[in-house]
Amino acid sequence: MNIKRNFMALCLTVLACGAAADNHSGDSHAGHQHGDTHGASAMMDHGSHDEMRDHMHQHDEGEHDVATGEHEAHVTGAVTLTRTPEIDAALAKGGEPIVADVLGVVCDFCATAMNKIFGKRAEVAAIYVDLDTKALSIVTHEQGSLSDEDIGSLAEQAGYRVAAVRRGAAALGS
Amino acid sequence: MIESPSGVLKARTLSLLSPLLLALVLALEASARPVSYVGGWTIIETSNRQSTAALVHYTATPKLSVGGRMEWDRNTGFVMTAVQPTWLAKRWFGQDFQANVYLTGGLGFATGIDGNAIGSDAAYFAGVMADWETRRHFLSYEARFLDAGHFGHDFMQAGHVGWAPYEGDTGDLHTWLMLEVDHRPDALESVGVTPMIRFFKNTLLVELGYNIIEHQPLANFTFRF
Repeated sequence: MNIKRNFMALCLTVLACGAAADNHSGDSHAGHQHGDTHGASAMMDHGSHDEMRDHMHQHDEGEHDVATGEHEAHVTGAVTLTRTPEIDAALAKGGEPIVADVLGVVCDFCATAMNKIFGKRAEVAAIYVDLDTKALSIVTHEQGSLSDEDIGSLAEQAGYRVAAVRRGAAALGS
Repeated sequence: MIESPSGVLKARTLSLLSPLLLALVLALEASARPVSYVGGWTIIETSNRQSTAALVHYTATPKLSVGGRMEWDRNTGFVMTAVQPTWLAKRWFGQDFQANVYLTGGLGFATGIDGNAIGSDAAYFAGVMADWETRRHFLSYEARFLDAGHFGHDFMQAGHVGWAPYEGDTGDLHTWLMLEVDHRPDALESVGVTPMIRFFKNTLLVELGYNIIEHQPLANFTFRF
């Protein structure tokens, strides 16, 4: 029964550590290449989704650093839209290009999850998850649009977190 | 009542196939995240030196999946059928990594097979799983305590370390070389070592290995839809 008691104690310790880490979620994202994203990560954390809603808002083009709320039309080294035949076709029809930097994308299951979740949305005409760049490329239908808040929420449903979103010229790298 | 020869043949065939069917329907966990995307279904089969198990689960929220589990303990000779919820207690994100801690449990009943005289009894289990993964490296740990009533209780813990010789992109075949070390205090050999290879493509993951201590094969798969 000692094993049983020790194991239950281990489970309780894990729970306590998880709760403590929730209060310091920004600490685990130091060194992110998109500048000061501590706040961004915290905002996109499941536990603070309402805070994210308060900070995120739509914009026509340029990068939205979800940490600072600043917009940059051109970001050096930022990942641009991955081009696939489906994405090119959707662009040709006048869809809006969007690139989202996604944290935690390390395997094909991640890509599948985002394809499934985003693919269900009527606004999405084409999607591609690039494991090399950890970026989600989306082109909406001409009449459709996805807000930063929508993208953050959908990524959360897939089990991931969005660090930054670029649209229009910034997404295309032009 | 006298059974016809064809009936006997059918019964024998079924009894021979049932472990195989069970193995196919059940198998693979710590390495295949036990909480998927919201609305996603996952079939996980694991078969190791002690048991063969199948879990079919549905992810209800980003942090919770609920499923049905069947586990055949080959050493003791019982099959456990249980409802298994799994909670994603914490996920850490980085640009190049992901780490998770899961808590899981189950409640059901165990039924004796293979001539086990004990009929049936209530069973429950509780476990913890943790993993850290990049595109080239993988570490995980899992531990579980199972109480199967009259069939006894069982504790196990296992660690995995993995390395991918190349970084596959989306849709490519991903290959991992892995090593599992498991500790089962009640087993004949308390520590097992299993080198394995993992193949991963789109929604299908397969792991094949061989326990070099007890000379038992390992076969796991996961499929998502």
